[in-house]
Amino acid sequence: MIAYLRYLSERFVIFVATIFISITIVFFVPRLVPGHPLLAVFNRMAAAGGSLNAPQLIEEYNRLFGLDKSLWEQYVRFLRELARGNLGYSIGSFPSRVSDILTSAIPWTIGLLMLTTLISWVLGSLIGAVAGWRGGKSRFVQALVWAALVLYTIPYYILAIILVFLFAFQWRIFPLSGAYSVGLSPELSLDFALDVLRHAALPALSMIVVSLGWWFLSMRSLITSLKGEDYILQAEAKGLSNRRILWGYAFRNALLPQATGLAISLGRIVGGALITEVIFAYPGLGWVIYNSITSIDFPVIQGGVLLIVFSVALANFVIDMVYPLIDPRIRYQQAGRG
Amino acid sequence: MAEVRVEAQRGYAGELLRNRKFLIGTIIFLALLAVAVAGSLFVDPVQRRTGSFPARLPPGPGGLLGTDSLGRSVAIQMSEAVPNSLQVGLIAAFLGTLIGALIGFISGYFGGAVDAVLRILIDVFLSVPSLVFLILIASLVKGVGVQTMALIIGAFAWPSPARQVRAQVLSLKERAFVQIARLSGMSGLEIIFRELMPHMLQWLGANFVNAFIAAVLAESGLSLLGLGPQREMTLGMMIYWALGYSAILQNLWWWWLTPILALMCLFLSLYLIHLGFDEASNPRLHSQV
Repeated sequence: MIAYLRYLSERFVIFVATIFISITIVFFVPRLVPGHPLLAVFNRMAAAGGSLNAPQLIEEYNRLFGLDKSLWEQYVRFLRELARGNLGYSIGSFPSRVSDILTSAIPWTIGLLMLTTLISWVLGSLIGAVAGWRGGKSRFVQALVWAALVLYTIPYYILAIILVFLFAFQWRIFPLSGAYSVGLSPELSLDFALDVLRHAALPALSMIVVSLGWWFLSMRSLITSLKGEDYILQAEAKGLSNRRILWGYAFRNALLPQATGLAISLGRIVGGALITEVIFAYPGLGWVIYNSITSIDFPVIQGGVLLIVFSVALANFVIDMVYPLIDPRIRYQQAGRG
Repeated sequence: MAEVRVEAQRGYAGELLRNRKFLIGTIIFLALLAVAVAGSLFVDPVQRRTGSFPARLPPGPGGLLGTDSLGRSVAIQMSEAVPNSLQVGLIAAFLGTLIGALIGFISGYFGGAVDAVLRILIDVFLSVPSLVFLILIASLVKGVGVQTMALIIGAFAWPSPARQVRAQVLSLKERAFVQIARLSGMSGLEIIFRELMPHMLQWLGANFVNAFIAAVLAESGLSLLGLGPQREMTLGMMIYWALGYSAILQNLWWWWLTPILALMCLFLSLYLIHLGFDEASNPRLHSQV
């Protein structure tokens, strides 16, 4: 128990440090740019032809974040406002709050990625288990391994572009972009749900196929390494059926490390597919960040960055906290490492 | 001692050259490089301007590899984009591996409080996807060029080499030859560079390739988000412009497909080289895959 607490406190330090260091970077980087921290942004907007009432905005920011005070005081204020969940106002669509903009985007991202991560994990693990059990001699398995390696190597957005070309342009099976048809408004009806599913199909497919390769390879190597274990040999000696040994013995034991991988991916979903969303114009966090980049809306970019960092750090901490309770072997290893 | 080391290095190089994956990867990589270099030697810079060619020309003898909707040749864009993307990878990987190795060495060798602080730092930057910080910084820096971009990417590429170097140093520093060096009065830095570094070189090679892959990936990712070098061509920027001018809808497939194929070849070759490094330094891996 003491070992676990020590390990836990170490993980907690890292959790706090992650958030603290990230906030500090987010605070100081814009201030390394000479002049008013927001003036550079305003100038670029003006150059890009954007019209806005800059003086009023700057005043509002000065008041909120005390930009005329000393750097230290600004920093403390920044931390205080963040602790209240205040991420400031969007420049592009003043006076919308950054937090409101982000909150409306998050469900799309989490919905899409949660679903695709789970589907691809289940599929990849099942196929990987069978392939690992069959061994490396079968030609079919070898071909699968190479296909998985290629999928694993190429960046996820490249597949997305190819899928858009094939399914949306060439064969016109799925819509090109967006999360639902133009003209529909979000409501709880069967029509709307079907429309959302149709729009999600292509981004989902690209996410599933790309991560499938990884889950397949990892489950396959787990099963391969388990095949020589004593309890598998004993099960064979007892005369259990092949299928029973694979699913009842080998697969169940491989499930734990494979589930860790799943947990880590789930922890990363908030920032996981920024570029896929850009390619499909899918209205999640990536699309919001992309739009704020093109409209030079720095507060929204900054808020998005902080949101991703915070969710990743929190997810990592939760995994670290729970995992040793499930698998005691990990706990001792980790504690010994420190 | 020195002779033994040379012998070991030679054996390692031989092992690498006999590795099929390493060879195939290297050949693809060199082919890409050759095409890029030849392109940039024979291309007249004037032809890079928009409108140098008729717009939307399909691939054929006249407009080799076709032209985009602004009247630029895809082939000529590639001759600029491939070297630039490779440059980003090279600079960023070099910077990242260097910083990472330094931090890893210091952390692992000196231990104690220094190690505790550095380890937390490594863990922090490993857990946060670096693309996020890159987005933040690139959106503030006005008009990034290829080199600036490489430096920014490199500045966030150190955590993974740092962690691995640290682990290696921890296992090396208790070995007899390091103890002897210490007893014979070598200073900490001297031991790091003269005794530990040679053992790490082959291993840093694999890490360098890894960082290279990550850097090219980061470059194309940032470019697709609209944060790339707007006035220069990289593979990421080519895809960005193609998507921006909806090349897919206009059925100008040569415009978006060419940079995508180049990127895929590049990643495949680098990944094979990486596997080759791994297998050469750890022969037990041979049997797998």
